[in-house]
Amino acid sequence: MSSRPQTTRQHSDPGRSCHSAAVAVAGDPGEVAARLAAALARRGLDAVRLWVDRVPASMAAARRAAELARPLPAGGPPVRAVLLRHDDGADLVLVVRRGPLTGRALGELAAEAAGIASPAGAEPTAGPGPGDRPEGAAPDPAGQSQPAGQSQPAGQAESPGTAAGETAGAGAADDGEHEGDTAWRGGNPRADRTGSYAFVVPAGTDRLALTGAVGAVLARFGGVRRVRVGTLLDEGPAVVPVAVDGTLRALAARPADPAPWPAAGRAPDAGPPEAVVGVLTGDSPADTYLPSLTPPWPLTLTLRGTAVTCDFRTGAWAAEVVAAVARYVTRVLEQLLADGDRALGDCDLFDDAERDRVAALGGATVDLPEPTGGIHDRVAGWARTTPDAPAVSYGDDRLTYAQLDARAGRIAAALRARGCGPGTRVGVCLERSVDLVAALLGVLRAGAAYVPIDPTYPAERIRYTVEDSRVTLLVGADGVEVDELLADGTDDAAGTGAAAVGPDDPAYVIYTSGSTGRPKGVQVPHRNVLALVAATQDDLGLGPADTWTMFHSSAFDFSVWEIWGCLLTGGHLVVVPHLVVRDPAEFHTLLRAERVTVLNQTPSAFAQLVDADRRSAHRLGLRLVVFGGEPLDAGMLTGWFDRYPERDCRLVNMFGITETTVHVTAQTMDRGLALAGTRSVGRPLPGWYVHVLDPAGRLLPPGAAGEIHVGGAGVADGYLHRDELTAQRFLPDPWRGGRMYRSGDRGRLLPDGRLEHLGRLDDQVKIRGYRIELDEIRQVLLDDPDVLAVAVTVDTGAEAADARLHAYVVLADGADPPADLRRRVARILPGYMVPATVTPLPALPLTANGKLDAARLPAPDARPLPAAGEPADTGAGTGRAERIRVVWERVLGAEVGPEDNFFDLGGNSLLALRLLRELRAQGLGEFTPRHLYVHPTVRALVGATGTER
Amino acid sequence: MPEPTPGRLAGRTAIITGAARGLGRACATAFAAQGADLVLVDVAHDLPDVPYPLGSASQLAHTAKLCAEHGVAAYPVEADVRDPEAVRAAVALCLDRFGRIDVLVNNAGIAAPSGKPVHEISEAEWQLMLDVDLSGPWRMVGAVGAVMCRQRAGSIVNVASTAGLVGYRHFAGYVAAKHGLVGLTRAAALDYAPLKVRVNALCPGSVRDDPYVEGRMLAEIARSLEVPVAEHEETFVQAQPMNALIEPDSVAQAALWLASDESSQVTGSVITVDGGFTTR
Repeated sequence: MSSRPQTTRQHSDPGRSCHSAAVAVAGDPGEVAARLAAALARRGLDAVRLWVDRVPASMAAARRAAELARPLPAGGPPVRAVLLRHDDGADLVLVVRRGPLTGRALGELAAEAAGIASPAGAEPTAGPGPGDRPEGAAPDPAGQSQPAGQSQPAGQAESPGTAAGETAGAGAADDGEHEGDTAWRGGNPRADRTGSYAFVVPAGTDRLALTGAVGAVLARFGGVRRVRVGTLLDEGPAVVPVAVDGTLRALAARPADPAPWPAAGRAPDAGPPEAVVGVLTGDSPADTYLPSLTPPWPLTLTLRGTAVTCDFRTGAWAAEVVAAVARYVTRVLEQLLADGDRALGDCDLFDDAERDRVAALGGATVDLPEPTGGIHDRVAGWARTTPDAPAVSYGDDRLTYAQLDARAGRIAAALRARGCGPGTRVGVCLERSVDLVAALLGVLRAGAAYVPIDPTYPAERIRYTVEDSRVTLLVGADGVEVDELLADGTDDAAGTGAAAVGPDDPAYVIYTSGSTGRPKGVQVPHRNVLALVAATQDDLGLGPADTWTMFHSSAFDFSVWEIWGCLLTGGHLVVVPHLVVRDPAEFHTLLRAERVTVLNQTPSAFAQLVDADRRSAHRLGLRLVVFGGEPLDAGMLTGWFDRYPERDCRLVNMFGITETTVHVTAQTMDRGLALAGTRSVGRPLPGWYVHVLDPAGRLLPPGAAGEIHVGGAGVADGYLHRDELTAQRFLPDPWRGGRMYRSGDRGRLLPDGRLEHLGRLDDQVKIRGYRIELDEIRQVLLDDPDVLAVAVTVDTGAEAADARLHAYVVLADGADPPADLRRRVARILPGYMVPATVTPLPALPLTANGKLDAARLPAPDARPLPAAGEPADTGAGTGRAERIRVVWERVLGAEVGPEDNFFDLGGNSLLALRLLRELRAQGLGEFTPRHLYVHPTVRALVGATGTER
Repeated sequence: MPEPTPGRLAGRTAIITGAARGLGRACATAFAAQGADLVLVDVAHDLPDVPYPLGSASQLAHTAKLCAEHGVAAYPVEADVRDPEAVRAAVALCLDRFGRIDVLVNNAGIAAPSGKPVHEISEAEWQLMLDVDLSGPWRMVGAVGAVMCRQRAGSIVNVASTAGLVGYRHFAGYVAAKHGLVGLTRAAALDYAPLKVRVNALCPGSVRDDPYVEGRMLAEIARSLEVPVAEHEETFVQAQPMNALIEPDSVAQAALWLASDESSQVTGSVITVDGGFTTR
């Protein structure tokens, strides 16, 4: 026996080496003892002492259960016999070591000792097989159609090598296949106790059908096609592989495989290769039969007639999940028994009522007030009621609501004069400024939709967006400048020239990374933005007293929330300069100086701000922080809560998608959720709702992970000029009507209606909040004539700052060096999408079925990618310059030449901060992020004085 | 539907010595109420050199009956803890019937012959006192220790006394034996700690002679001290910081806690249930 450093009673499980039976008896103890001795002798077993206990009648059932479950000590006699006498009669309980007697034989022994089965003429059953049905034994409700001599359900005979009184275990164990999700079981390892649940299955259910139904339910929950189901034969435990694509007949044809016992004392969520669910048959000539004294699996189902007992460990299974599994198993059994040709996986889990309930769980139907007019009409309303309130500022440029409205009106007039109006789109490619906001508002007021384009993007990407969106006009870049529009436009304070814009007119088109290899434009109408603000305004208390930042690029839809969340509620929008965005210390200063109250951040950016805040002696005046853009690591918030308690500053984590108008759900965070590391993103916003569906498009039960589909007030019009893609992703909602967006995000609904977000189903990744489709990068590389094959991987790294993209390429003969390729890619893709490394390979490693075998890709080639023809220059000198260069190499994880651009070598804003910290720590200079952006090479940085700001 | 919370000792088995009455009965009924199956040991007859009546077979059977009313199995066993063979048989019965031994409560003990200074104690009186009160528990621990070590689980509760911590005038034998039991507790705790077998001592103060458990220890101590029995409770209460005698169930609840998994990391502890008596 090995020592197990666990709590008591867990180090071995003698209960599994025994089985037991109980039977009601009449007569005095002496007669019972004599019959027992005779019955034992007939089976070649020694006589044993008959223990006789008196029990109060009210306690008799509990005592019988306790005696049935009491194991034999190792090394003692193979049989224990206990007679429990009470006022209503007596029970004989026999506990027998597995081996001498099969389950059926034990039942017969008990019946003989009880005097209710005559041994005359009958050979005692020595092994598997049907026995005489004893008079007075428990009737077999399932066996109505069977001969009286057989209490064993018919289906069991089809399963070779099994007999009555064994266990069939259903375990979602690994059979060389993915085990699937297990978190849905909902157990609490901190409170591991035993639980029990009883339910009734349809008549005709045998162990095989129960095993198949359990397997079907487990597979649906786990999102897999195949699970393994444990079973207990007279010879010992075994597993049955259950393929949900097959029928019960197919299952019957597949014998069980012998398997080891699940490890003792590892109840909570013992993972593969152990079974997690077992199905036993307890039918026996005795009144009660326990195939195993302790349930072998964390969830063990025992079938007796049509009654099923579920024994489970609460450390692995939540009681309500067991109840749900039981309900679904019953429903699947009804379908399987009615239709023998039905595949296990084709059965419905829900009846109509439950389907309706599950469909409604992901968000109540809310009738938001029907909006009138457009976004700009609401802003104009604030210009009338609070004309002198600050609306937008950028540094010293400040516009009141009246001024903003007037400026937007002039821009709108000029745009209309240039042919922009309802049904058209206007590209806006402007640096951050008050005019950027005025231009966006002007476009809306003209009746057109704006297409925001980040001017820092490569010219190629800008040109693509302009062409793909077929804008009527481009403001900024090479198009018309705002000053021209302002000069041409006429005052339109009364808004008389405003085009008639309804809530269903498009407001903007935002481009997102596309798996087809090219970004695609998501078109969103005014109605959605108005609904977003209506859904959040009261709960978040948004109003004229608030000051917001516009931190994010207008091309990132988080900015839609920042701009219009602020301006539709009368707040003051502070446009954050580009370089301040990249410097948490400067941003911290700005937040204080502008007395910002509402902040929106990606968790990556917020982590930097928390760091800056810790270094600052000054407190921020924030009252609300909204997280979006990427999953939140809730644990990072505890330090923030220490400084800014929940009552002072509310933190709200929002899950959202561009296609559903920025946000979908909201979860207010607190210390408890942070400590628990919650993945909950909360309940849908009023008017929004979610479904979690399996790959076949069926509703999944609460707890099961599947693909998040979003419906309701935020669903976008679709992808601009991409009807086919729109039809693929924006689907009709069969349960609630309307359309729902198929997100590609994995999630689960919790029973209370909150959503857990579990990442992406596809290749889409988020790096520092940027949504990236690896396929898009792959496609751009493949478009290069030198490239024959491409793989792109993400190295998430230990921290957000370490996340890197790596490209592996197979180059054509005579191709340019990878450095040239990377430079070409950098002209097309935004910086955050350019791979940090490009590694040439003779061929990509593939799996047997021809898929990329990512595990066999080599480590990325971290050698520098020097410009073509540039000599290997090590002439950055010695001393301080050399030490600075070494720090660069360490931070970037690559060789660095003196002329290498930090950002070309995979540097990003987070790595920049780390680099500057390192340089400061080593006394190599006090640089700010601004220095690095202006002087992005070692040589240039060394030349810059390290104290200027 | 989850079943009602099982008893704190459901499925556990306990051997309790001195179970006919007093603290032994209090522990037995408290354990039974929490679902423990029991082997109840008592000498169940008087001893010639003990100047007061010990537990009787009738009292032991009554304890067993009180326990069985909770639906548990309770086996009375007449055994003298001075007899190694009887001790072995009691332990064997527990194993045969239940297959395991989870708890031992070493409660058997005598308070007299006492009431005289050290030099007046006879050789036989000294031997008797130590044989029952110290060597008896040692025999029991020796008999169950191996079983519990094999199980890698078990809890031993030695019922000592405040006399295991402080002196009492004219009780040298009793005080020496109970101090010895505290020492045995500490040493055995270290022996068994790696194998998850726990050994703790309970030190009750002056326990009220509760008629329900047929207690009479306090009366016998009073008799040894020549305190009039009619006013002995009042006399003892005057020495109690809480102005009350210790209730048997207070001691039983402490024993229950030490027996259960709730104290799973408590071993080698000496826990007083004395109303603050030894803290002065």
